[in-house]
Amino acid sequence: MALSTATKPRPDDPAPAGTPGRRTRAGRRRHRAEGVAGYVFLSPWLIGLMAITAFPMLFSLYLSFTNYDVLSSWELVEWVGLDNYRRMFGEDPAFWHAVTVTLTYALIAVPLKLAAALGVALLLNRERRGVGLFRSLFYLPSLLGGSVALALVWRAMFGGDGAFNSFLGLFGIQGRAWVNDPSWALETLMVLAIWQFGAPMVIFLAGLKQVPTELYEAASVDGAGRVRQFWNVTLPMLSPVIFFNLVLETINGFQGFTSAYVISNGTGGPVYSTLLYTLHIYDQGFGEFRMGYASALSWVFLLAIAVITVIFFSTGRFWVHYSDGDD
Amino acid sequence: MHPRTPPTADASTAPGHRSLHRRDLLRRLTAAMVAVPLVLGAAACGDDEAKEPGGPVSIEFFWWGGEARAEMTQKALDLYTQKNPNVTIKPVWQAFDGYYDKLATISAGGNAPDVFQIDDNGLAEYASRNVTLDLTPYVKDNRIDLSKHAEGLTRYGQLDGKQVAIATGENTPAMIYDKTKLKELGVGEPQEGWSYEQLFDWASQVTAKGGGKYWGTMDTSSDYKALWLWLRAQGKEFYDGNKLAFTEADLAAWFRLWQGARAKNATPPADVVHEAVTGSVATQLVVTGKAATSFMWSNQLGELQKATKNELGMVAYPGDPKGQWARASLYWAGSRSTKHPEAVADLINFLVNDPEVAKIFGVDRGLPSNMDTRTSVAAGLTDPAMKTTVEFENALAPKFGPAPTPPPKGHSGLRNKLRDIAESVTYGRATPEDAAKQFFAEAQAALAG
Repeated sequence: MALSTATKPRPDDPAPAGTPGRRTRAGRRRHRAEGVAGYVFLSPWLIGLMAITAFPMLFSLYLSFTNYDVLSSWELVEWVGLDNYRRMFGEDPAFWHAVTVTLTYALIAVPLKLAAALGVALLLNRERRGVGLFRSLFYLPSLLGGSVALALVWRAMFGGDGAFNSFLGLFGIQGRAWVNDPSWALETLMVLAIWQFGAPMVIFLAGLKQVPTELYEAASVDGAGRVRQFWNVTLPMLSPVIFFNLVLETINGFQGFTSAYVISNGTGGPVYSTLLYTLHIYDQGFGEFRMGYASALSWVFLLAIAVITVIFFSTGRFWVHYSDGDD
Repeated sequence: MHPRTPPTADASTAPGHRSLHRRDLLRRLTAAMVAVPLVLGAAACGDDEAKEPGGPVSIEFFWWGGEARAEMTQKALDLYTQKNPNVTIKPVWQAFDGYYDKLATISAGGNAPDVFQIDDNGLAEYASRNVTLDLTPYVKDNRIDLSKHAEGLTRYGQLDGKQVAIATGENTPAMIYDKTKLKELGVGEPQEGWSYEQLFDWASQVTAKGGGKYWGTMDTSSDYKALWLWLRAQGKEFYDGNKLAFTEADLAAWFRLWQGARAKNATPPADVVHEAVTGSVATQLVVTGKAATSFMWSNQLGELQKATKNELGMVAYPGDPKGQWARASLYWAGSRSTKHPEAVADLINFLVNDPEVAKIFGVDRGLPSNMDTRTSVAAGLTDPAMKTTVEFENALAPKFGPAPTPPPKGHSGLRNKLRDIAESVTYGRATPEDAAKQFFAEAQAALAG
């Protein structure tokens, strides 16, 4: 570390790198003081990163090769090699339930959420009276985030005797017990996720404001209607923002936990229908005391998300248009 | 960074001052990062309070339950601290949902509460992993006096020859039914010793008279304790050590039995059953007014009764009552990491033997294990629901079968698997045979740990 910092040229460094003898004493001292100050200012974050993120993460990688069970003392922790990974693909049918449920959830909820966010952002992009109020109102649900309270409300609303069914009853429609029906429970969670489209909406709004108006003017001079303008001007100009939201929301979608945990009472039921992957990890770790296995599940999860993100980035160059780019 | 600080040995030979100081600084930083937690850690160990008797003792005390139980527990603890002014108790309590999650997380850090409440669903999980304090020596030297305790209950707190927990009291599974509603519908009350078929016939009658939104009986096919009693009534068992003692055919028969009930409309549709499946008091169908029975524990009658205006009654689960046994409703356990094992033992002894405490608790945590206080408590009861609990237990006691050993390590996971797989039958997603097959395929992995 000392070597690399010593040889790296700095913009404010009067002497070229590798010839420290030519530096003035004052310069050296100032430089040193700055370096120290840098580390001191960085230390809260650095210590936090090491202690709270990096170390536990690497430790969980180690645990994933052990039979660590949360409760037993450390002396009893044994190295089990790839057993945990083998269990996942061979002996744990719930793992496949969790994978299916999570993929379904992310594949449906994320695009719909982004579509809702973009749609509403387009509507709110026009300058009308009271538009600020609407922006706030639409943003509100996502402020509540993955809150337990919201999930509880959802459970009550979409239960067999919930408000939603009473509402349907007004039109003579016989509802069902949405959250207690294995065919509908996950859809209920998706609706909750989609409803919280405020965060990507705000980002879309900011993106829409960036689109130069002369492009629209030029397009309309060329005879493009509103739909045409949307496809040929708005979407390409917005593509970096769409890309950003897509990556972020996909990762968020995969990490959904609270709503599934609360609505299913921690069971992932009925009949595995809401067993999101994170819920399965939690259940294995803290419910069945298989923390080694839960760690293995987490690492596979991390890899899966990384692969998906890489795929996004590698396909991005085919459809993401950066206006300051090479074309 | 002070220039006068004596440089380290390699200082004079180092090529440049700058990198030297940097290295020095880094070394110090590292040292500080290592040292600070060490010092803090040492300080944490430093408050190892005086172990001599009479010194200040602080005990963390963790349990689950509702409001009513909270009041009773606080009263009992206050009584203890009055008599032992050097002891401070920090009670933490919460509802049952999530209790084991929290216990697991705090125990994971090696800081299990000094004294905690546990039941046979979790006992082996914690005891076999040595989280619990071995109470055998305290029982031997009579600091925990079990001489008056029902022997079956004492044994139900032993694992591998160690006394790992002390039973708070006795309970048995009990079917709780809605007396008021049955009278309203003009249907008789369920009787002890009924077979499941008799229950289902009776229940379809209730459903028929209930007018569409009311059903005869809760579908308890997904509950391990109902299955367990059903097996025992036929002379079989659930566990043999840490293996299953019943067969795939037994389980398929159990699932088929309940298919029959569904065909007769004896039970509510799957989504209504699912509402009550976690066993939480507030969602039970006798409380929400959707079915005439709930399959609970005998000591829970009081709590359920508080949640509904209708009068509730209680009867044994269907099947031969020999399937029942004197089960420890709950236990008190100590933590192996406690700094005050003797105070822990003393407090547990107080909670299970003190006559005044027994009077405060009534039968909320089951019929007292101590037979002397059980008699006096039963005589002094005023709460009608608690009285029913006592009568129920006493009437059933002569018919009890021998107590099994508490469920083994891995039981919590297995229990959830049974719930999920049984529900796949309830929801019509699997046939009884396929479900039984799947359960057995997964059970082995669950119990292997």
